[in-house]
Amino acid sequence: MSDVFDEVAAIVRDVIGEDFLLEQELTRDTSFSQDLALESIEFVELSEKLQERFGQRANLATFIAGMDIDAIMDITVGELADYITAQLAPSA
Amino acid sequence: MPVISANGVRFHVQRLEPEPPAGPGSRPPLVVFVHGLVMDNLSSFYYTLAGPAIAAGARVLLYDLRGHGRSERTPSGYTARDGAADLAALLDAAGVTEPVYLVGNSFGGVVAARLAISAPERVAGLALIEASCAGATAAAWLESMINTLSAGALSLEYNRVAEVFGAAGQRKFARMALTADGLLNGTSLIEDLAAERPLDAAELAGIGCPVLAVYGERSELAGGAEDLRRHVRDCRVEIIGGLAHTVLRDATETTSGILLGWLPRPAAAVPVQRAGSAPTRRAGGAR
Repeated sequence: MSDVFDEVAAIVRDVIGEDFLLEQELTRDTSFSQDLALESIEFVELSEKLQERFGQRANLATFIAGMDIDAIMDITVGELADYITAQLAPSA
Repeated sequence: MPVISANGVRFHVQRLEPEPPAGPGSRPPLVVFVHGLVMDNLSSFYYTLAGPAIAAGARVLLYDLRGHGRSERTPSGYTARDGAADLAALLDAAGVTEPVYLVGNSFGGVVAARLAISAPERVAGLALIEASCAGATAAAWLESMINTLSAGALSLEYNRVAEVFGAAGQRKFARMALTADGLLNGTSLIEDLAAERPLDAAELAGIGCPVLAVYGERSELAGGAEDLRRHVRDCRVEIIGGLAHTVLRDATETTSGILLGWLPRPAAAVPVQRAGSAPTRRAGGAR
């Protein structure tokens, strides 16, 4: 499991609160809506914390631009980590 | 969480810069998004039009209206005029001195229109998406909204909806119910809405900036388009076929294309560069 995934997972835990996550294991396939029941405003908080950690490039508004709401809700923690990794690549 | 105190209220604000960054000497337009009532917050624009706007070169400011999202819930102050005063104070506190492009959805459009009337020097353009701001249809919509919210308020209180969802492990719905309960049963929002009136002909005629009005063809508010056409000096109306009130959510791409086509350049240019694997939908030139 990549370092970026671990960091993203830690930030997700921070946004959601550990108590809810006690019975949930965060994996690459954990979806924000189905599994974590993330509120839409919490997704914005998540974006903000990712940018604090990884910089402007980790911009979820750009990541989700053009997706419809259902697709956004289906995003998994692994897909988000992959996006951040791609954004951090020197050529990005 | 970025918070700005303005008009005595703590507001949750998100600012996004253009991608790629604006070059020296260029001055991208600042677009301010104003969301709708009760179950809405800045995320509805964050998810839909904010990304395309920054990709098209605009700067973006999103905020939660008082009592909504992560902004402070005050006991009162929920009229559209209060909202316009909040927005003016927020722009001051954020150091924004230039005229901005306001994009308001539903009741957010009324707030935006009120600011265009009370402080015309602050508003470069006004985009109204399914705004309940003009005509007999808006008055009827407001009345039906008040009835719906009043019924919702009673149900939330007596059926203890938040507790029921919470007990069922429905975290998201429990939180949404808590938010709605706090706003409907803990503030003057419903009373404030009951005192609300759509903009009259003289007020509409007083709007000096360019106006873009987007409605769903089947929306109960679409009749307001005629009032805007008749009274607003510089008004472009776009009707999206087959849809009702939910054009922002259900016709995001079309709405985005219309908005970006209406905004001044560089926002109209679309230099999208992305490295992610997200499916890309380029905002087209829909008009």
